[in-house]
Amino acid sequence: MTSNEKKNNGPQNKSCLCKLTLEMSRLEAKKPSLCNSEPLTSEGVRATLSVWRGIVSSCYGPSGRLKQLHNGLGGYVCTTSQSAALLRNLSVTHPIIKILVTSVQNHVSCFSDCGLFTAILCCNLIENVQKIVLTPTTVIKLNKHLLRLCTNYLNSEACGCRIPVDFHSARIPLCLVRSVLTSKPASMLTKEEVDHISALILRTFLLTIPENAEGHIILGKSIIVPLKGQRVTDSTVLPGILIEMPEVQLMKLLPIKKSGALKVALFCTTLSGDLSDTGKGTVVVPCGVSLESAVLDQLLNLGRQLVSDHVDLVLCQKVMHPSLKQLLSAHQVIAIDRIGVTLMEPLSKVTGTQPIGSLGSISTSSYGSVKNLRTAKFGSKHFFHLIPNEGTICSLLLCNRNDTAWDELKLTCQTALHVLQLTVKEPWVLLGGGCTETHLAAYIRHKTCNEPESILKDDAGCTQTELHLVAEAFCRALESLAVSLEHDGGEILTDMKYGHFWSVQAHSPSAVNWSDLLSRCGCGLYNSQEELSWSFLRSTRHPFAPQTCLPREAVGSSSTLTVDCLTAKLGGLQVAVETANLILDLSYVIEDKN
Amino acid sequence: MVMAYRIINKRRHIGLQQLSSFAEIGRSLIGPVKSSKFIIDEESHESVLISSTVRLLENLDLTSAVGQLLNEAVQAQNNTYRTGTSTLLFLVGAWCSAVEECLHLDVPISIIVSVMSEGLNFCSEEVVSLQVPIHNIFDHMDNTFSGLETCSVTLCPFLQVSSDTGLQQEELDLKDVASQSLTNLVEVDKNTSQTLKNSLFADTCCRKSVLNHSRHFKRPDSNEQISKLDGFLEHGAANPRSYRCNDLVELAVGLSHGDLSNMKLVEEAVQVQYRNAHMKQVNSPAPFMFDISKIFTCCLPGLPESFSCICPGYVTAVSVSSTNLIKELQNQPVRLVLIEGDLTENYRHLGFNKSSNIKTVFDSMKLQEDSSEELWTNSVLQVLIQFNVNLVLVQGNVSECLVEKCIHSKRLIIGSVNGTVMQAFAEATGAVQVVYITQVNEDCVGNGVHVTFWKSNPLDVVDRNDRIAILLKTEGIDLVTAVLTNPVTAQMQTKEDRFWSCAYRLYYALKEEKVFLGGGAVEFLCLSHLQILVEQSLKKTNHASSVWLRNTSSWLASSLEIYRPTVLKFLANGWQKYLSTLIYNTANYSSEFEASTFIQHHLQKATESGSPSSYILNEYHKINSGIFNSGISDKLEHIPRVYDIVTPKIEAWRRALDLVLLVLQTDSEIITGLGHTQINSRASEGFLFL
Repeated sequence: MTSNEKKNNGPQNKSCLCKLTLEMSRLEAKKPSLCNSEPLTSEGVRATLSVWRGIVSSCYGPSGRLKQLHNGLGGYVCTTSQSAALLRNLSVTHPIIKILVTSVQNHVSCFSDCGLFTAILCCNLIENVQKIVLTPTTVIKLNKHLLRLCTNYLNSEACGCRIPVDFHSARIPLCLVRSVLTSKPASMLTKEEVDHISALILRTFLLTIPENAEGHIILGKSIIVPLKGQRVTDSTVLPGILIEMPEVQLMKLLPIKKSGALKVALFCTTLSGDLSDTGKGTVVVPCGVSLESAVLDQLLNLGRQLVSDHVDLVLCQKVMHPSLKQLLSAHQVIAIDRIGVTLMEPLSKVTGTQPIGSLGSISTSSYGSVKNLRTAKFGSKHFFHLIPNEGTICSLLLCNRNDTAWDELKLTCQTALHVLQLTVKEPWVLLGGGCTETHLAAYIRHKTCNEPESILKDDAGCTQTELHLVAEAFCRALESLAVSLEHDGGEILTDMKYGHFWSVQAHSPSAVNWSDLLSRCGCGLYNSQEELSWSFLRSTRHPFAPQTCLPREAVGSSSTLTVDCLTAKLGGLQVAVETANLILDLSYVIEDKN
Repeated sequence: MVMAYRIINKRRHIGLQQLSSFAEIGRSLIGPVKSSKFIIDEESHESVLISSTVRLLENLDLTSAVGQLLNEAVQAQNNTYRTGTSTLLFLVGAWCSAVEECLHLDVPISIIVSVMSEGLNFCSEEVVSLQVPIHNIFDHMDNTFSGLETCSVTLCPFLQVSSDTGLQQEELDLKDVASQSLTNLVEVDKNTSQTLKNSLFADTCCRKSVLNHSRHFKRPDSNEQISKLDGFLEHGAANPRSYRCNDLVELAVGLSHGDLSNMKLVEEAVQVQYRNAHMKQVNSPAPFMFDISKIFTCCLPGLPESFSCICPGYVTAVSVSSTNLIKELQNQPVRLVLIEGDLTENYRHLGFNKSSNIKTVFDSMKLQEDSSEELWTNSVLQVLIQFNVNLVLVQGNVSECLVEKCIHSKRLIIGSVNGTVMQAFAEATGAVQVVYITQVNEDCVGNGVHVTFWKSNPLDVVDRNDRIAILLKTEGIDLVTAVLTNPVTAQMQTKEDRFWSCAYRLYYALKEEKVFLGGGAVEFLCLSHLQILVEQSLKKTNHASSVWLRNTSSWLASSLEIYRPTVLKFLANGWQKYLSTLIYNTANYSSEFEASTFIQHHLQKATESGSPSSYILNEYHKINSGIFNSGISDKLEHIPRVYDIVTPKIEAWRRALDLVLLVLQTDSEIITGLGHTQINSRASEGFLFL
């Protein structure tokens, strides 16, 4: 510190102090990294894991409870029970939970569906395994064997809980969509609304399939257009692209004098007359020279070229200069700007245009065309409706009464559409409503009891006792996942023939004729009037062989089935087991505390 | 980043409790007689006078999650329909308590959700029988509102009549009622606002805005004066089933819900639009549609209420300093230019990014004589002179300096003009809207606009902000302006809100071509229909229950029938509460209990009759046949009916129930992104941290 500084008083002294503390902090020694061994044994981690499990399992299924997510400062309130929305908004600190959240998020981004399934199963597996005294290595190895057993079974012809999907009939695809819709209660749909939206989603999906497909099918795209505040049943789907526009602006462009095909130019650059980035430093311009008007001249030249090329419709992702618009409209060219980045790719696809990115001369090959251009009004919103010559792009106008419910419905619809795409690739669905889980558990129990050597194969490192212990933990994890579907205090039973899921009111008299109390199994395939025997899922049972090979006629008879996407569920199962294995394998958590 | 999590559904549902306490505030806002409220911010000492749900919620601090959801629901209803928000708010409260009662009785949540939403579906289907079709309403346009002015407003609520209150003494002249209620309010406002402020600012430690239930604003003597505007039953045709409405005036009065002065303005606006449309299409008369987007309001605070009127054309307020200019422009048609955006030197169109690092160097020899602003102003003026333009309408702001300069050269510039007005002038005059004045060419200039004062003696009508109203008119323009005046500035907003709510009610009625019989008739039908459903399901006569569970195969499906009557009963209680509050707010009952007993009495009769809807329709008929005092039978011919709009009302119900059920199904609140400082305070509220 110089003597000069010492003489200073008041505020300057303070700034001096600040400087000193800053310097001091720089000198501070680094904190040592924190190392925790066997993180899973810590009480704190277990408690956090169990709270986390509580959150996800309370969301699960059609009667799942909703969560209000907000920042506590008056920000947007998201009411949801979907993993995608839930995980996006959560911020977790513990590394173990972080691993869990990240793997589930990865799964959701690939498959959209079965996120909660994955999260709950993973937590269940970790919790159950902790109760057994076996080394993590053994558990991990056996878990892998069991996972292989499951995937092989679910992929095999013998599988008793999967149904082939025939897209010639709408029945199973509709059941699939309906199951997705009803499992997200926060979209607040009534029965009629579920019917309406499921039909709409199926129609939307069909519109994205090309008409004459040979060899590889490339699915098109559906764009969800928000129409909040309207009734759900006002939702509709249209082929082509809708561009929203304020009424006043729309009126200015009307009437559209052209009819028939229109020549289209699509700009992805701004046409607002900005100067392109001049970089650092200062540009010195002599008085009398206007850069703005220089750029405008260039824009107007561009406009003249468009006119002389007989372009009918100019679309611009960003802003167009008003003078350019004036020039174009004087020559009966329709100009629409501020289209936004989301519509660019579909627009370019539908019209066959090359998005133009410069103000220089335009090659004629960049132009494309549309079949027709119309205006449309839905609710209070006005749209330009671009009808393509041919194409697989459609716009789904989605309505719901308020923002919260709309957001949830949008996510649900996206999931349903994605699930349909996955099902086209792999045309099978699994029985839903908890039946697949209980059936699978019964199958594993039966296999480990009767053919343990087929599971262990030539793995010499594990004994059959170890297999029994781990398999029991695995089956319990699957079963308590199924139990998570019940949120109103009912009890879960399983039948001893198919191994399906049945729910019953709690504290039902014990010596009762179950077939009178029960109605249908979780997926809706079987009813209680068949001669079945039941037992509580929580009680210990003798292993039995659940009936495999689902007969076709069984599927035909029942009206509404709850079904899940095979691909998504298989993926979820894999992610859950592998993530659980990863977490069980952790022996140290090293944190940098600096 | 830390995340807090709490379970809000432990024993008593916190969310539902919060929701019902918010909804409680809106009790006095349903029905035609609304008690205004003062909202006072204890920190800034600012106060607002409100009398509608939307304004109420706008001015409250609703940072809690549930409060925000409520606000969102009300805003969504308001943005879509502009009406029904008070019904929504009230029913949220009523159904919140209903749901809480169900929870006390251990009804599973999924069952409450399914049965309640199905119950409301039943109601929505049932009330179709009380719809009144609107037919050929514009065939009777020779009737005018003047007929209404002479008729009496003895809208005896059905409950009133039956409790043997004489009809005659309630007859009051319409004009009296309207003006009296207004003056009462005004006086109260003047006298009490000061004392109110003094007494309420005492406590300043609380940050939140505090709502004060003010006794002073309970309608003074309203029991005697304005209670009868919302009749429960009115006279009808001889055949109770043949209700129809084919007269615009009758419809307007029925939809006025006690606000005849504003409804009269709306009705006039429709007449003006109808005449305009009629003149335009003499040869091919397309069906006339009331176009609400072509209606504008111009608020002039400080002028007496009686100055409110409807003017064809565009009325707007300009500064008093332009008085002379307008006098000069008055006598000839002027040419106009329409500018979207601002008319200032530095304005650039939206999306234009100015480069900050460009510096202009001036020739050192020539010193700039004028500032650039002045140069720009001159160039604008040059354009206006070149194209002989005397009127410029600007959507955005206008440079003050330019306005002054233009006044000197006999040119009027009006800023902040609505986009639809611009469009209407563009269509009527052939002008083309431009962003920059430099874009103007001969094709952009419009012709034939007439500028006049709104009142021939302009200085009599200077409003509180020293502005005078002027009228812009041109051949074939289809704009209609409602000039709204009110002596009390604080009430201007209320006046405007009420005008719009009348306008939208009439708009939806005409658009849907049907209305409900109003005054509580639909709610009464819902109540009695649910009552019958409860009885049926208790007797198990109705096995074909259509209640739908999301989880169809759950055990809940089989236990549904056990809980169904209970849940429906509580849903019905919501209607009961709504009706008794409505009647208590409207008619002369000393307590809600008394009103409730009265409803109960009629409910019994209606359910006993077997068909509640025909019971209601018959009651209408009875009044008409003069079953009561014979002396009033001839007068009853003039009793206007009360109507309600259809879809907005049903949507408000649905939204209210959806919100309650959404909150009901929510079991935890997750707060994300908390800083460390907030954690300690949150820990005490039962939050867990992850």
